[in-house]
Amino acid sequence: MTSMTMVEIGAIEHELRQLWSESAEKAPDGQAVIRALTLNLLACTHDAEHADRMTDAIQQLTASHPSRAILALLQPDAPEPRLDGFVQANCLLSRRGTPQVCGEQITLDARGSAVQQVVSLILALLVPDLPVVLWINNPDPFAEPLLARLRSVVDRVIVNSQAFAQPTSAFVQMAELERAVSSGGLALHTFAISDLTWASLTPWRELTAQFFDTRPLLPHLRRIDHVTITYQVPSGADNPVAGLLLAGWLASCLDWMPLEDAFSLEPDLIRFYLRRPAVGVGTGAIRLVTLDLRPVEAASGATPGLLALHLEALDGVTASFRVERAETPGYALTTATIAGMEPISRLARCEEPSLADLLAAELRLRHRDQTFSDALRVAGLLAARLRRDM
Amino acid sequence: MSDLPNPLRHGLRIGRTPEPCTVVIFGASGDLTSRKLVPALYNLARERRLPGGFSVVGFARRPWDDAQFRQVLLDGVNANSRSGAVETELWASFAEGIHYQPGSFDDPSAYARLAERLAELDQRRGTGGNRVFYLATPPEAYPDIIRQLGAHGLNQSPHGGWTRIIIEKPFGRDLASAQALNQQVLAVFEEPQVYRIDHYLGKETVQNIMVFRFANGIFEPLWDRRSVDHVQITVAENLGVEDRGGYYDHSGALRDMIQNHLMQLLALVAMEPPVSYDADAVRDEKVKVLRAIRRIRPEEVATYTVRGQYDAGSLSGRPLPGYRDERGVDPASQTETYIGLKLFVENWRWAGVPFYLRSGKALPRRVSEIAIQFKTVPTMLFAETPMHDIEPNVLAIKLQPDEGITLKFGSKVPGQPQIRPVTMDFRYGTSFGVASPEAYERLLLDCMLGDSTLFTRRDEVEASWSLITPIHQGWLASPAQPFPNYEAGSWGPTSADEFMARDGRTWRRL
Ligand SMILES: NC(=O)c1ccc[n+]([C@@H]2O[C@H](COP(=O)([O-])OP(=O)(O)OC[C@H]3O[C@@H](n4cnc5c(N)ncnc54)[C@H](OP(=O)(O)O)[C@@H]3O)[C@@H](O)[C@H]2O)c1
Repeated sequence: MTSMTMVEIGAIEHELRQLWSESAEKAPDGQAVIRALTLNLLACTHDAEHADRMTDAIQQLTASHPSRAILALLQPDAPEPRLDGFVQANCLLSRRGTPQVCGEQITLDARGSAVQQVVSLILALLVPDLPVVLWINNPDPFAEPLLARLRSVVDRVIVNSQAFAQPTSAFVQMAELERAVSSGGLALHTFAISDLTWASLTPWRELTAQFFDTRPLLPHLRRIDHVTITYQVPSGADNPVAGLLLAGWLASCLDWMPLEDAFSLEPDLIRFYLRRPAVGVGTGAIRLVTLDLRPVEAASGATPGLLALHLEALDGVTASFRVERAETPGYALTTATIAGMEPISRLARCEEPSLADLLAAELRLRHRDQTFSDALRVAGLLAARLRRDM
Repeated sequence: MSDLPNPLRHGLRIGRTPEPCTVVIFGASGDLTSRKLVPALYNLARERRLPGGFSVVGFARRPWDDAQFRQVLLDGVNANSRSGAVETELWASFAEGIHYQPGSFDDPSAYARLAERLAELDQRRGTGGNRVFYLATPPEAYPDIIRQLGAHGLNQSPHGGWTRIIIEKPFGRDLASAQALNQQVLAVFEEPQVYRIDHYLGKETVQNIMVFRFANGIFEPLWDRRSVDHVQITVAENLGVEDRGGYYDHSGALRDMIQNHLMQLLALVAMEPPVSYDADAVRDEKVKVLRAIRRIRPEEVATYTVRGQYDAGSLSGRPLPGYRDERGVDPASQTETYIGLKLFVENWRWAGVPFYLRSGKALPRRVSEIAIQFKTVPTMLFAETPMHDIEPNVLAIKLQPDEGITLKFGSKVPGQPQIRPVTMDFRYGTSFGVASPEAYERLLLDCMLGDSTLFTRRDEVEASWSLITPIHQGWLASPAQPFPNYEAGSWGPTSADEFMARDGRTWRRL
């Protein structure tokens, strides 16, 4: 890792070249330094503390996604206009005799009215012919002016719905934006949306899906009529997005349609009713699924997020499928219980992913994640109902 | 492969998990089980690739109970797993599904008890009659086990489940014994149930050979006799025979390495693009390559092969006794621990291009690679200049230790009228920053999912033996070799260098 060098804004490219030849000279004999860039990663925030955490994550990402990262710290409310730039190379420690892989980072610190100049600078610094990803780490990302001004060059926008200041309304906004961009209705150039909260659900989705890779258990999936999603929220805050996304995912995979106005809201229970396709042909009857979101106030120090997902088929042969956080952090317990059979349970890893892990998971995607779009569409419908009532 | 229409699978970024099943390991108290198989299964469980209900039954003679067996495996995983020491709670959950069934391979009542145990597990752990039988035993035991499985109806599953059998190497000692074994296996199992393992095929980089060739348009037009001068395939080991001397002395490098691993590598570099990436399409193309290789007749072995056996020396600074002094080895042994081989693939694409294969023990480094050496450009352009000294382009596919691809090409030295070779280096490890799974993980998972692409088919094994057997016969008929003829820790006998020099070529320095 090299330390940050403060540079003249006009000389950033020159400084980067300088940095590269220095690293190459400093490398031990016979050890090459490889400049490997797989994408342009634009990261923006308004908060200096966030900027540090983002830099850490970008450095960790070098292993899997060496990039030209441009981190913009935007502080429009600062009194004095000022724009500073820093460059650094993010290099992996390498074993002897193997080449060192490096990405590069440009940090722009913009204050006051100088914030206006950042976009033109970013556009000049993009490496041509590589994807452009914009990571907005800000509690109201869709109001970020940078998004509007860069949308014509951006291929992917990454946000984190768990950190939204107005969770339900920003969530509904995200669902609408995603629908607009995915229908291509906005412009010729469209981009994909990634939500880090969605990425964090992957182990939960995987553990849930695994029950039904088994032929004898698969038929029960279409019979599910009760779903309970329990999640932990910090005291005072209520952000149901993780639960909504998981619910949206189940509903979109299983063709469940939320029923208009059929929903109830209590302090520790949000209940939705959905219509499920009938099992088998000719039954014709409308089947209902009740879907409960249960927020649990987190003890201090506990991480917010999902605690348990419970799927049940109660009508007919009872079947129950449960994934829950185990007592030991980093694990989940899965249990399948079918009437007349011994319950089958197992412990599985379900580690808390780091910020860099979540970003890496989304950066691995080359295109729009259709499953996410579908889940978000239904989750957006559910959120819209909540927004009206909250 | 049957794809289950599990609607929750859509868009999940990892592949599906197999159905709950029981893996029955014959030879479960042996080295392979605790060093490779169970660490691989544990890592699969750790990465959430195994379903709840997944079970293991170990079968061997030692009078252990479940608890003893679990402890041995736990020690094995702790010592050998790529993910380090086990996670205690995860192991506890995984180990609940591990059982031990003592018995001798020739004792019918042991199989009856095994059948009962499996039926009980189907009930209790929901394994639905799905079974993998893994033969991790001395090869002499294969016929007995296979016959007994058939006799006890274990070659087929109850309840509409599936039964598969994995057979370790060596698969035969020559063409006749491989054919006989195939007959014994296929008298009891159907070919689609049979998974002949060659763990080389489970290595990520080996699979990448195909991706590299067929997903990158720029190389394929150069991949033939017009552009390629020759191909070198090297698998070098920097170990002696260790404690496998007894086995090795009856096998040797030709049968232990060339027949399976190097032939597979050759087939993958030389094959035509398969019509699809499915088990039979890929294996059809590989078999075609093997069948197109010109057979070396016994009387031609001196021309097309070179052999060596290591003498005392040192490896990475540590002394190593000579091969003939290893435990289990005949003091006058004629077994080769080094082999060099020249083969020709006689088809439209490769006619006239030699494929040089070499493999040996007690060499300076552990390295496997495939190098495609391209023809040198006509040097007229730079002939009268100081830049006439142009080296050929070489594309090297490195399999281990650092997996990756390098391309050597000529470049002008800045400011000087000189051309120097430079290498462009691409490494999987650093480019993707993720640890590759162990070969056995991939292969066990593929078998449980019913995908046999990376396993060898009956005709493939036989085609390969039909090339190897005449070479071995030729050697037996030749005068005794002046063994030992290379020092442990060197790059093999000088005769191997002469072997290449005769063709005006040299082995790559690795
Ligand atoms: N080890 C490796 O790294 C490696 C690599 C590639 C391929 N392989 C192949 O894998 C196979 C197994 O290798 P290994 O090294 O694990 O062998 P090993 O350590 O010698 O183990 C042999 C196993 O077979 C059992 N066994 C032998 N005769 C038996 C009988 N009559 N009845 C019941 N059990 C019997 C032994 O059990 P008891 O001692 O309890 O009787 C032991 O569990 C071989 O075919 C080998 O070529 C091994």
